[in-house]
Amino acid sequence: MYSYKTGIDQIDQLSGGFEAGTNILILAPPMSYADQLAYALTKPVTGEYAITLSTNERAAEVVDFFKVAGSDKRFIGVIDAITKSSTPSIVDTPRLRFVSSPTDLTGIGIKFSNMIEAIFEGDFSDGESGLFPPPIRFCVNSVSTLLMYRKLEVLYQFLHVITAKLKKIEGVGIYILNSESFDDKTLSLIKQLMNCVIEIKIEQDGSYLRIMGIRGINPVWQKFSVNKGQVTILP
Amino acid sequence: MISTGMNRVDEMLGGGIPKGSRVLYSMEPGVNGQLFMISSLCRAIENDLSCLVILPHTTFETFSNDVRSMTAGLINLSSDNIVFIDSIDRERIQKSSPHPDSAQQEWKARIAKVCCERKIDVIFVYFDLLFEDFGIENGLNILELGDCVLKPTLILELLNLEGEPLLSRFIHDFSFDVVISIKSSFLTVPHFDYFTLVHTSWSPQPVRSVPFVTAKGRIVPYIPRIVVTGPAKSGKSTFVKNASIEGISVDRMGSDGDLTTGVMDLGLLHWKGFDITVYGTPGQPRFDTMIPGMFKHTMGVILIIDATKPRSLPRAKEMIGMLAERGVPTVIAANKTDLPGKMAEKEIRAALGVREDIPLFFISATSKDDVRHVLESLVDSITQIPY
Repeated sequence: MYSYKTGIDQIDQLSGGFEAGTNILILAPPMSYADQLAYALTKPVTGEYAITLSTNERAAEVVDFFKVAGSDKRFIGVIDAITKSSTPSIVDTPRLRFVSSPTDLTGIGIKFSNMIEAIFEGDFSDGESGLFPPPIRFCVNSVSTLLMYRKLEVLYQFLHVITAKLKKIEGVGIYILNSESFDDKTLSLIKQLMNCVIEIKIEQDGSYLRIMGIRGINPVWQKFSVNKGQVTILP
Repeated sequence: MISTGMNRVDEMLGGGIPKGSRVLYSMEPGVNGQLFMISSLCRAIENDLSCLVILPHTTFETFSNDVRSMTAGLINLSSDNIVFIDSIDRERIQKSSPHPDSAQQEWKARIAKVCCERKIDVIFVYFDLLFEDFGIENGLNILELGDCVLKPTLILELLNLEGEPLLSRFIHDFSFDVVISIKSSFLTVPHFDYFTLVHTSWSPQPVRSVPFVTAKGRIVPYIPRIVVTGPAKSGKSTFVKNASIEGISVDRMGSDGDLTTGVMDLGLLHWKGFDITVYGTPGQPRFDTMIPGMFKHTMGVILIIDATKPRSLPRAKEMIGMLAERGVPTVIAANKTDLPGKMAEKEIRAALGVREDIPLFFISATSKDDVRHVLESLVDSITQIPY
């Protein structure tokens, strides 16, 4: 089975990376650079593809992050759920697709399927091809915003379908949820859909992460930093 | 009757939707089924019906752009015959009536007012957010009008996150007249979507599923591959040729001086609203290694046998063995029945070892009517598979 490298040496050496079909929840307080960590884990290595559902940033900003991190933009897709509200006439391209708002789960589901289909059919990367079957990393930035627009029960069911589809295509999913804005019931329900949880906390001397659910990795707090899409575990 | 805007669907419904009906397009997440609602809306506009479109999830402007891009700009939504209640109206209602009961009353009053004043024929509702805001019962109650107008036809699109139990509620608890469920196979390759006519209130119908693709702003029922197979010289190439509007045959001269298929026959067929690709396999045993590949992703198989040649039946039985494990719908066409000496059905079934429920037709592949009859039976079988 395919393994998705995390790009974090200490983790990749111990566990080999994320197993295909893993869904990872990043549980983080505000202003903790959770999105930087999520994008770093979403960054595709050569031959892989990445799709990001963005409810907070415009597609161009998301693509910029990956370009700065050294990724080939032909393997990066974005489902942008904010631009269309201000620019209704914006048109989809094979790698940038737009839905009217984070409310529109129907549209998000369709664009997600369309992109997966395009990747499998080789219509995604301007004639360039990655590995086959294609390894796909999918990031939701963020579940917190989706929860502001839709009820928990609805979003749970929707994410249940998405996580199941990712398992089926042997992709990985990375989801960001604000740990301080939602009650225990919400956190626990969303966690049920995941195989792995990465918690982030901020201390005076920096940010710490703790990984739960990956074989071979102890769930201990480790100081980290993210720079240009590279996560470093600090001593 | 009101047309759904999709000929094949209208045909399955017996001509369309009876006026005043309640229709549900249920979509599972990720399925590319928005054109069902859009097609029905576009046809209503073309037919000068007055329409109310309720889109709580988006603005009129965004919706209008989406429809234009989906239908290649063929439909103009700025007609006097259409009224929209969109996400901006939803926000206004949420602000003016923060309590769900009063919001529900305000929605109901607005919709009733529009329907009375504009004599609305069809209401199109993107139901997700009404469902979420008020629940299914109260959400549908909003759409119930008083006595001021003739009952409009109601067409709902819903992202169905609950599956069959939700469909059952629409049918049994809320008396919907038509329920069409739109789903995706979500196989990695090939990916295909299909719709299932789950329920019609006015006539009992078998549950039928039809694969489809979207092309040029239309829903096109689609059968990606039907394979025609059978022993050599049973008439497969003739069958494919007479089934198709265009096609190719890769033939070469056999040792007996007759043409024989060396690679395959390929035919394209637009029929009864379907786009169908028909592949004919070679019949010679030396090509048998190719055949499993051709059966891959096949949605139906036609086995052609020469009804005048009993000695070819062991070979036909061998070929049935190659496809038996796949469990795809299969029909048998006993060809050349215009020639003397044809076998009886009982004899053929016994020699092939096939059950009574596998359709067997006596045909002449030179007759297009016979060929179409066989195809019709197979397409019926394919579209009755629930997937």
